Amino acid sequence: MSTELDTDVNHNIEIGGGFKGGLGGAMIRHLIILLVLLFVWEMANRTGMGDPLLLPRPTDIVLSIWKIYVTQGNVWYHLWVTFKEAMLGCLIGCIIGIGLATAAVLSDVFRQFLKPYIIIVEATPRIAIGPILVTWFGFGMSSKVALAALVCFFAPFVNTITGLLGVEEESYELFRSLGATRKQVFWRLMIPTALPTMNAGLKLAVGSAFGGALVAEFISAQAGMGILMARYTMSLNMPSAFAGLLSITLYGFILFRIMEAIDYKVLYWRTDELMEKKSLKRSLAWKKEMQS
Amino acid sequence: MSDVSSDGILKGVKELSLVHKLSMHLGVFVILIGGWELGSRLGYVNELIMPPPTAIGYRLYEMFFITGSIYWHYFVTMFEAVCGFIIGVSIGLSLAITSAISPVFRRYWAPYAIVFNVTPGIAVTPFIIAWFGFGWSSKIALAALVCFFPPFINTLTGLLYIDKDATELFRSLGANRKQYFWKLQIPSALPIIIAGLKLAMTGALIGAIVAEFFSASEGVGILMQRFAFRLNMDGSFAALIVMSLMGLSLFTLMEYMDVKVLFWRRHSRMEEVSKKRKAKWSIN
Amino acid sequence: MADEVVIEAKGLTKAFTETVIAVEDAIFQIPKGSFVSLVGPSGCGKSTLLRLIAGLIDKTDGNISVRNAEVTGPRKDIGLMFQKAVLLEWRTAIENVLLPNEIRGDVGPEAKQKAWDGLQLVGLKDFEFSFPRQLSGGMQQRVALARLLQTGADIMLLDEPFGALDEFTRERLNVELLRIVDDPEITTIFVTHNITEAIFLADKVFVMTPRPGRIAAMIDINLPKPRTIEMETTPEFNALIKEVRDVLSGHLDGAPL
Repeated sequence: MSTELDTDVNHNIEIGGGFKGGLGGAMIRHLIILLVLLFVWEMANRTGMGDPLLLPRPTDIVLSIWKIYVTQGNVWYHLWVTFKEAMLGCLIGCIIGIGLATAAVLSDVFRQFLKPYIIIVEATPRIAIGPILVTWFGFGMSSKVALAALVCFFAPFVNTITGLLGVEEESYELFRSLGATRKQVFWRLMIPTALPTMNAGLKLAVGSAFGGALVAEFISAQAGMGILMARYTMSLNMPSAFAGLLSITLYGFILFRIMEAIDYKVLYWRTDELMEKKSLKRSLAWKKEMQS
Repeated sequence: MSDVSSDGILKGVKELSLVHKLSMHLGVFVILIGGWELGSRLGYVNELIMPPPTAIGYRLYEMFFITGSIYWHYFVTMFEAVCGFIIGVSIGLSLAITSAISPVFRRYWAPYAIVFNVTPGIAVTPFIIAWFGFGWSSKIALAALVCFFPPFINTLTGLLYIDKDATELFRSLGANRKQYFWKLQIPSALPIIIAGLKLAMTGALIGAIVAEFFSASEGVGILMQRFAFRLNMDGSFAALIVMSLMGLSLFTLMEYMDVKVLFWRRHSRMEEVSKKRKAKWSIN
Repeated sequence: MADEVVIEAKGLTKAFTETVIAVEDAIFQIPKGSFVSLVGPSGCGKSTLLRLIAGLIDKTDGNISVRNAEVTGPRKDIGLMFQKAVLLEWRTAIENVLLPNEIRGDVGPEAKQKAWDGLQLVGLKDFEFSFPRQLSGGMQQRVALARLLQTGADIMLLDEPFGALDEFTRERLNVELLRIVDDPEITTIFVTHNITEAIFLADKVFVMTPRPGRIAAMIDINLPKPRTIEMETTPEFNALIKEVRDVLSGHLDGAPL
């Protein structure tokens, strides 16, 4: 007598399954559903059911997209500004995060000293310091970069510490028995071991930096996607505001994919395919060396 | 022969007693604050940029004990965050549970959830304000939005990735779907669900504060922004400290919940619960 | 020795893909009250065969029946034990033992008493309210055994339950296992890759060879009961070990059987 238990549970875990990979049956299905939804939305608006201030018509949104990208072309500038702010902030934040983490791991005194402050910083909503930063750095780009950096430094920091501390005792013993110097242990053992976790932290950092830049723009800015959307919504130009939002979504999605690709390439020992390729490359290089 | 070992990093730490550590931290803190104060008085640190600790301290004292203005703002922001948390978490949990139970639902819904998370929820702030107005509801809405994702993704992952052997055990005992859900899926997923809740709490507070920045009349967030814009730096730093306190108290609350609920992860808690269950045991 | 055949297989086959044949054409009869060891190297299909009998996976061809009824799914009279104890971390030992009753919906005073007695039987007095994380590997397996007994199943299928434990714990548990299942009502199938363990415990040893998984030999073990560890050094025991090894290496060298 078979039980009712659906052991399908463990086999059907494709959470993001619908969008991964190329065009397939699933993709088409989603596309159709999307189109149907858009159609309903459009009709609701035209027949006066939906409030255009709340959710503007899809056709209007499309028109706005055309406008901001092509006719007026103003969105390019703002996208670029926000991108610069976020990326710069992310860079700074990551460097600080990883730097502090490394110092914390290499020096137990420093780590002990840092601990309570980290707990406090973790509990505080870091984004809250936005207004202060704007007051300090002015309305220009630097306040956005600063906030982005502050907001995103935490993930790489925590992850780098966890990653570096995750090296097993036995690995250390191995290196010690081979007479390795501290520098060698750090670069050849600790860093590679920590890479996967560090990478995860970097991915989070990119997302947070983006958010930080936007928030700083909300507080006060003259350029950037955040202030662009704010202006549009304030002037009740909802279609354009939505167009802006969609741009950001697309942009974030692209960034996400890029980060995943980097993750995939760097951590080659996580996937069989890449391992085989690298293995082949190295064996060829070895053979060449042996022959000369 | 190198002198590196992971032990070295932790060795110094383990040998210090709690009192020793506390006094060390206190000492360092005093030195930092003292240095800051001194630097300010000697003119090395610009008072407009980094107000001296005493000024901030006074401002805090003033806010809490003299004017008492802070209590209301504190309450407002806390209320917004907590409400947002409750709403966001409820939606996140129910969607996750539904997705875990129904593969059909999961296939249609989950990909969108992933895509939407790629956008920082923060980006939607102008829309939320436009839709909900300047009152409390927009803050609660943004808080709910920002904090919805971690519980959703964590709960979904936790419920779906169950130990295969445990699943097989339940099958072999003839368990039905309901029993499998309540006796295995939920307890097994609890640690990761609670981790998601902790993230949600942080997110909710952030959502509330960011919404306040955008437009509000009450709340610690807008208070801090006003101070800053009027170049009242002691005030804004004081407000920042208050926000820190809020974060810490919420964090402590979440930690308490973690310790209480996930008793099987801590030795001392296991012993506690073990004793309790032994006492409660009776054959009848 | 009872003659009643409790488990019977005829041409039982399980193929996961065209080339991966985990079990091919298994034919055997297992009488009630006997202890059968299923021994072979890793990947020879013994776990798969066990799961076919347990009703956890479906066969591809042939027939497997328990008590003259074809196996279609998990049954109440069959109890399982795995290499991992698979205890629920958030439950105490005794609560873990009561899990089968909870699922079947009959947790009454008898069930609770039986669970208590079960834990005493497997030697876990004073640990009834401990959590799995507070117990050693061997102790966790004892709880799993108590849980198995709790089901009241009289057909026990054990898949390398002591494989993850050290030699000394394993020996002790082997002796205790025999003590517990030495009952004409209880039929046991024990999967292992350890030849000594297989022979020590069993009345009959089924030797399985891999790719495809076949039962290459069924060897009777006529050693006296109760078994003791000292028996393992006797010439008779070693002859049996050699017999099993010959079957296995005969296959592994590629020589036809």
